[in-house]
Amino acid sequence: MTAMADITPLITVRDLTARYGHIEALRSTALHVAPGEFVTILGPNGAGKTTLLRAITRLIASTGQIVFNGRDVTHLRTHELAGLGIIMVQEGRGLFGDMSVRENLQLGAYKLSGPQAHSERQLEKVFSLFPRLRERIDQTASSMSGGEQQMLAVGRALMADPKLLILDEPSLGLAPRVASEILSTLGALNKEGLGILLVEQKAPLALKLAQRVYILASGSVRAELPTQEIESHHDLARYYFT
Amino acid sequence: MPSAVELVQSLVNGVGIGLIYGLVAIGFCVIYNASGIVNFAQGVFVMLGGMFAHTLLTQFGLPIYVSAVLSTILVAGIGVLVQIAIINPMWRRKAPLFAIILATLAIQLLIEQVVILTLGDQPRTYPEFTSGGPLKIGPIAIGYQLFWVLGCGALMVFALTQFFNRTRMGRALRACSQNREAAALLGIPVERMLIVSFALSAALGAAAGILITPTQYTAYSVGGPFGINGFIAAIIGGFGSAPAALVGGIFLGVIQSGAIVFFGAGFKNIVALTVLLIVLLFFPSGLFAGRAKSA
Repeated sequence: MTAMADITPLITVRDLTARYGHIEALRSTALHVAPGEFVTILGPNGAGKTTLLRAITRLIASTGQIVFNGRDVTHLRTHELAGLGIIMVQEGRGLFGDMSVRENLQLGAYKLSGPQAHSERQLEKVFSLFPRLRERIDQTASSMSGGEQQMLAVGRALMADPKLLILDEPSLGLAPRVASEILSTLGALNKEGLGILLVEQKAPLALKLAQRVYILASGSVRAELPTQEIESHHDLARYYFT
Repeated sequence: MPSAVELVQSLVNGVGIGLIYGLVAIGFCVIYNASGIVNFAQGVFVMLGGMFAHTLLTQFGLPIYVSAVLSTILVAGIGVLVQIAIINPMWRRKAPLFAIILATLAIQLLIEQVVILTLGDQPRTYPEFTSGGPLKIGPIAIGYQLFWVLGCGALMVFALTQFFNRTRMGRALRACSQNREAAALLGIPVERMLIVSFALSAALGAAAGILITPTQYTAYSVGGPFGINGFIAAIIGGFGSAPAALVGGIFLGVIQSGAIVFFGAGFKNIVALTVLLIVLLFFPSGLFAGRAKSA
């Protein structure tokens, strides 16, 4: 157990099970993320990582319990979870390709209520993190490079002022330098107090940022440990740090 | 060979009916882009628009403008009812799209039967919005109602374009059309957006019906032909933006009108469908495929 586990978790997932037809893709999975914690989920292809994120965000049906900020949100729908501050950046980015950078970012702030100033503040924050988005503001999302698209996907998620940011392989298909830039930005956001749940193939960098790791295999959690302990597990260290 | 006057007159008539097809086509696009559903009940909204306007005008003695607005609101309400009572429950149960599309066809037939039972099966019409006319330009006669169709059509396309590009709800609808999962992940209530799309679509259909009834007639059975022609116009337009659907409608209207002049009324649909097939052969995704979707 970690020191973070003593704090009331930001999100707690218990006994989460999801199926694709007759195939059980996720089996009684449990995890938690504390406020301000950076948690990474590792696992081989087909381990159920994406399924887990999709089940948490209710993009697919599942059984089990999800508690967010002390509230049972199991039966809420995807958009309602987003309204509470659970925002996910999908694998493949999920951008609105025919729409401009500005429109994508405006849609990121869709659920923000209150004065316009709030979304303006978020917009300035996103531009300060990803200055290239300001330069591309009127360009359509589909016309940007992969790295810029990923910046937009993360920037759009930040426009929603999330409490928990979930990311599914944000570095997929990106040049190492760009991937490193984006993951470093996530690290900086976490230092400001943003809770992050990350599924990532580029394990070495993700593990540098994360405080805790879940190892997923065949649809269930095989191990949960603080990042620094991975190095003492020689088999895991060899697998994920090399 | 038809004379030049006949050709110009045919062009004018074709543009008029084509604008109506265009409005129906936009209705198809609004729902399809928000949900992937082809709403075959779209034509019935056209019929209901004309029927309600006629009833309010003749039975309740309301002025035509009030009747038109009330009818549009009523039909939009029916669109919402259809979405909430039938489409949404099927959507939530993850019914296959073809089953939902079949349901829209059933809704069309059901509403037609209800109209026969309540309002009767006789065709009806009402006077043009502006009396007098037609406007004579040399030998060409243009009924005043065509100007209403043109004006209202242009206004609606302009309003829709502004709505989709400049309002929060419009942008959310466009987001749903491109990636419903991503939209939901940003907090956009996708199901509510579908309700909005049905309301908009039904209102467009109703407006088309209200505008065209004075120059033709309305009856329980007109929904089918308008629906089919609107669907063809939407395909020609590439199921894309509102202006593309409108142009698709005008294209179809002019082709049909030309076919009547050249070959006789019996060939209207044969020529239109042949042209559709030729268009699809060379432009399988419609004439304006690849353009930004905004409706």
